[in-house]
Amino acid sequence: MNSNAFFSNLWRFLGLFAAQALFLKQVSLALGSYFNILLYPLFILFLPLQLATPYVVLLGFLIGMSVDFVYGTPGVHASAGAFSGYARSLIFFTFAPKGGYSGKELIFAPAFFGWQIFLQVAALFFVAHLFWYFSVDAFTFVYVGAITLKTLAAWVLTMLFVVLYTALFHPNN
Amino acid sequence: MGNLLQLFIRNGGFVTFVLVEVCCFYIVVRFNADQNAIFSHTSTLMGGNLMERRQVVRDYFGLTQRVDSLTRENALLMEDLANARVLQMPYRDTFYRVLYDTISTVDSIRHKSVRPEYRFIAARVISNSISSVNNWITLNRGSNDGVTSNMAVVSGKGIVGIVRHVSPHFSIAMSVLHRQARLSASLPKHENTFGTLMWEGGDPDVMVLHQIPKYKTVQVGEPVQTSGISAMFPKGISVGVVCETPTQDPEYPNFIQMKVKLSQELATIGDVYIVQNLFKSEIDSLNLKVKDEQ
Repeated sequence: MNSNAFFSNLWRFLGLFAAQALFLKQVSLALGSYFNILLYPLFILFLPLQLATPYVVLLGFLIGMSVDFVYGTPGVHASAGAFSGYARSLIFFTFAPKGGYSGKELIFAPAFFGWQIFLQVAALFFVAHLFWYFSVDAFTFVYVGAITLKTLAAWVLTMLFVVLYTALFHPNN
Repeated sequence: MGNLLQLFIRNGGFVTFVLVEVCCFYIVVRFNADQNAIFSHTSTLMGGNLMERRQVVRDYFGLTQRVDSLTRENALLMEDLANARVLQMPYRDTFYRVLYDTISTVDSIRHKSVRPEYRFIAARVISNSISSVNNWITLNRGSNDGVTSNMAVVSGKGIVGIVRHVSPHFSIAMSVLHRQARLSASLPKHENTFGTLMWEGGDPDVMVLHQIPKYKTVQVGEPVQTSGISAMFPKGISVGVVCETPTQDPEYPNFIQMKVKLSQELATIGDVYIVQNLFKSEIDSLNLKVKDEQ
């Protein structure tokens, strides 16, 4: 990771963490437990494409743990973050272009893959993240119905913010 | 070491993911009250279930040991029961009082001390036959265990046979399904009227009780048990039930005979008890004197 990319990711980390802690948490609190918006996993999704999975998992854990401190739920977001870090590599593998990644694509963003592919990947990525998050939060599959409903509701809201963020900031490294 | 490193490099993502998730799991349970409560409840349930399963497995593997110990325990109980039956045989003394302890003795401080007559040795059937004219049973107890010939063999359900040959570790018993087997059996509903029980071949579940006086009205279904008259079988061991209306005994016109369905199916015997009469030699020597005088 060159210094440019390092700082881009650092600012993204801080920006998304701040947005999550200061704004999106308040929105979720105001709307109720079925209307969560979890935008911070975008940091994991936009980590460099070539970054090895163990690092992605650890960085996912790091941002998740940071969010946990704000939400007062130690380990819950961290677990979901680590899971997303691992799931990301599987999703990227599934959506790899014919012949594999060329190395010119720095991150998985519309700037390199177009909006259609990006939205498919982001949709799958956030579904995985949110389902894991609500599962760990409930800590029992007795409430699998409620977990699924919360995941769907949060996914719709979160995807709106994902599109908004990506359209506004045009991430490319 | 090199292979291990290769494995980690190849699956590093997954390994890291698992390790991090284990840490997260610990943090979640340790620092979140709700998840902690769910985890405690679930682990208690699962722990209990697991303990129960472990106990089932342990019980299964300890089954042989338990069966052995139960058989030994059963032998002791049967021993007590057989001795109790002997000791509580009622009789009347010169003052016409009913006493219940014929062979107990009175010691110097005038305390009654009981004298057990039987000892039961738990054994297992190694081989058994029921289809021949003369059937034999091999047992896993021999002279080293105190077994001698002419000891009775019984099971929890009824009579089985008589020990005939003994080696240090094994013994062979003549099954009651043997043409030469003669046992003394009684009808407890008829003041213990006794007769001779023998097997006449054919059905391995049925023996014939001979020499019952013909004035006795014996009903089908009446119990038959050992009389205790012979020195081998203790009194009161179940033999079976009368299964057919008695008929006149062809050899003895003043007696009747009846078929008896055995309470112990000889085809299914497994755990048995060899009965040692502690006074057999004494009784035998007395009988020998009578024989000499005849």
